[in-house]
Amino acid sequence: MSVVAEQAAKKNYLAGLREALLEEMEARPDMVCIGEDIGLLGGAFGVTEGLMERYGPQRVIDAPISEAAIVGVAIGLAMQGRPVMAEMQFIDFISCGFDQIVNNAATMYYRTAGKVNLPIVIRGPSGGYGGGGPYHSQQNEAWFAHSPGLKVVCPSTPADAKGLLTASLRDPNPVIFYEVKELYRKRDIEEPIPDNHFVPLGSASIRRPGNDVTVVTYGNPAYLCLQASDELSSEGIDVEVIDLRTLVPMDDETVIQSIRKTNRVVVVNEASRTCGFAAEVIARINEMAFEYLDAPPLRVTRADTPVPWVKPLETAVLPSVESICDAIRRVARF
Amino acid sequence: MAKDSTTVTEPDSQAPSTETQSAANRARDLLTPEDHLEILRQLYLTRYFDVRLIKEKRRGRLRGTLYSSHNQEAILVGTIFGLRPTDWLSPIHRDMPAFFLKDLKSGWDDPNRMGMSIQEVCAQVWGKATAPGRARDNWSHIGDAEKGIICSTSMLAGTIPVAAGIAYDFKLRGFDGVVLTYNGEGATAQGIFHEAINFAAIHKLGVITIIENNQWAYGTPVELECPTKDVADRAKGYDIPGLIADGQDVLDVYDKTMWAVERARRGKGPSLIECKTFRAYGHGDHDDDRAAKYRNSDDVDKGRSRDPIAVYKAELVRLGILSQAEADAYKPEGKHAIETTDEDFPPAVVAALKEAVEFAVNSPMPEPDEAFRWVFAEDQP
Ligand SMILES: Cc1ncc(C[n+]2csc(CCOP(=O)(O)OP(=O)(O)O)c2C)c(N)n1
Ligand SMILES: [Mg+2]
Repeated sequence: MSVVAEQAAKKNYLAGLREALLEEMEARPDMVCIGEDIGLLGGAFGVTEGLMERYGPQRVIDAPISEAAIVGVAIGLAMQGRPVMAEMQFIDFISCGFDQIVNNAATMYYRTAGKVNLPIVIRGPSGGYGGGGPYHSQQNEAWFAHSPGLKVVCPSTPADAKGLLTASLRDPNPVIFYEVKELYRKRDIEEPIPDNHFVPLGSASIRRPGNDVTVVTYGNPAYLCLQASDELSSEGIDVEVIDLRTLVPMDDETVIQSIRKTNRVVVVNEASRTCGFAAEVIARINEMAFEYLDAPPLRVTRADTPVPWVKPLETAVLPSVESICDAIRRVARF
Repeated sequence: MAKDSTTVTEPDSQAPSTETQSAANRARDLLTPEDHLEILRQLYLTRYFDVRLIKEKRRGRLRGTLYSSHNQEAILVGTIFGLRPTDWLSPIHRDMPAFFLKDLKSGWDDPNRMGMSIQEVCAQVWGKATAPGRARDNWSHIGDAEKGIICSTSMLAGTIPVAAGIAYDFKLRGFDGVVLTYNGEGATAQGIFHEAINFAAIHKLGVITIIENNQWAYGTPVELECPTKDVADRAKGYDIPGLIADGQDVLDVYDKTMWAVERARRGKGPSLIECKTFRAYGHGDHDDDRAAKYRNSDDVDKGRSRDPIAVYKAELVRLGILSQAEADAYKPEGKHAIETTDEDFPPAVVAALKEAVEFAVNSPMPEPDEAFRWVFAEDQP
């Protein structure tokens, strides 16, 4: 491929998501999308741009501002065997639909002894670093990882965005899908996306191989970890960066394999510290690979505060390249 | 609004319609000429504040999203003007001016009045340490218990139950205050909207729900948000008055509000007031261009054709409170925010904003260490 053609084939994160939705809507005439402003407007961020034009207002529902009803309706549709994509305009608003998700959707298969499964993807823009304040910066995946019956996904690259959304839409279970809104249109992560790209849920990816310290992360901090790794390589610390991509089910195997090699680990999650997903990852490492550890595992997370609005405050509480480097150094030199 | 004959009603739960209301009991008739001139100044101030922010935003000086209140000023001024200083408010994203309109008639410069100063509100927009919440959350997410303003979250309709809690406290104390909450018509689809009004109605609390029906909730038209002919009809389910006000007419908004407020003060419980208006621009400034995709320009022109400043000035001329020449002295009406100039507004309004913006610009940013503070009450300010 010429340089020009290759450039042209590069796609951003948002395009990856949109492609997945369009292809699944095309392939599955029974699929329905529901959410606020997803039709006429094409979504607050444009992820559903063109969907209503193509598939009409029956299959692409501009819902009232009713997150609980959006999820509940999705459950009813899914009970009838239809795959459903339910959009939260910001993932922060998922709390308004919380009961329907954790009590109804998450437990349906269990309660019906395996008779009723729910192919629902609840997706939406998440994450901080954009100056959105407490209600437009959340990364609240731990709430749902803590609810048995829900799968939880968070891609960080354009190809993973497409491949994982495709896999989520084809999954027979309810999936909570965290999109990193700061990556939607980020130019320097654009990449070509193979046709029919599919990334199975529950598979982590090694974003950078290394021998000295394993860093386990997902979402936006994956880039901070890669940057930290570059900086530390000049100090002679060779970091392996694992992007979990799926939290539930988690790819324990890839993490444990890496720790057998490096014997040291730092886990980074963007959300607040107490009971964040990093705590779960470290607990699993302790259970499965304690004997391989040469240093106590550390975590880098947001402080136990909301995400404040103005930049200096937001920066103070969120994980940074600096705080990640510090943790890696401490583990490396232990 | 006529009630269904099968509904059990108390005599005064009938809300007044514009036709049946006799001139003698309209709240507007007790307004003095000075009151009228203050209302007009407040309309100018509300418009100018928005215009100024739109211009600052376009110059890249502000962060976050600006939800313009252009064309909806009569709702803010008309609902707030007649309140007592001790009443409470809960404004939302489109109501930025409400924070300083509260108790504004006690004096624009009065530091002790029961509303935020224009300076403080600008400091909030500029994200400075002098903002009421020290810029920990953005734009309209500010409150002040001492001044009777509920600090809202982003979650639409989420402060109505809080308003009910405050009004329940009033009831326990035997205090006849009221709490006004503001909501777009789209927010009326939230479950919490109904749970909260239900509670307030059962306990006859002084909660007045203002609906700013600007026909659009982001990119979704009102027909897809609400199945009843009028949003006010939602009140029927709770057997409370559902009033409809002309949101372009500050005096109609004022009359309807005062009717509901007086009723609430007498312990008769909540009301809902739908103010019909039209959203002037995109949902937020980020949506100004995209909005053309889902709203056609004829509808937009029609929706903006009755500028509340023009409507009110015409009435003041009719009442003999303004001469035509006085009415024509300042004419921002009908103009897009960026087409207006300072000459379109009274000098006192321009000066008030100038001072407030200077205060905001010259205020310090909060220190990064503050980010870790005030998670728990043990950490005292
Ligand atoms: C619970 C919840 N869901 C979604 C949103 C995102 N959102 C912010 S404003 C808005 C539209 C609001 O429309 P409306 O209530 O009519 O008020 P308007 O903006 O028209 O004044 C939406 C969907 C939100 N803030 N809260
Ligand atoms: Mg609206």
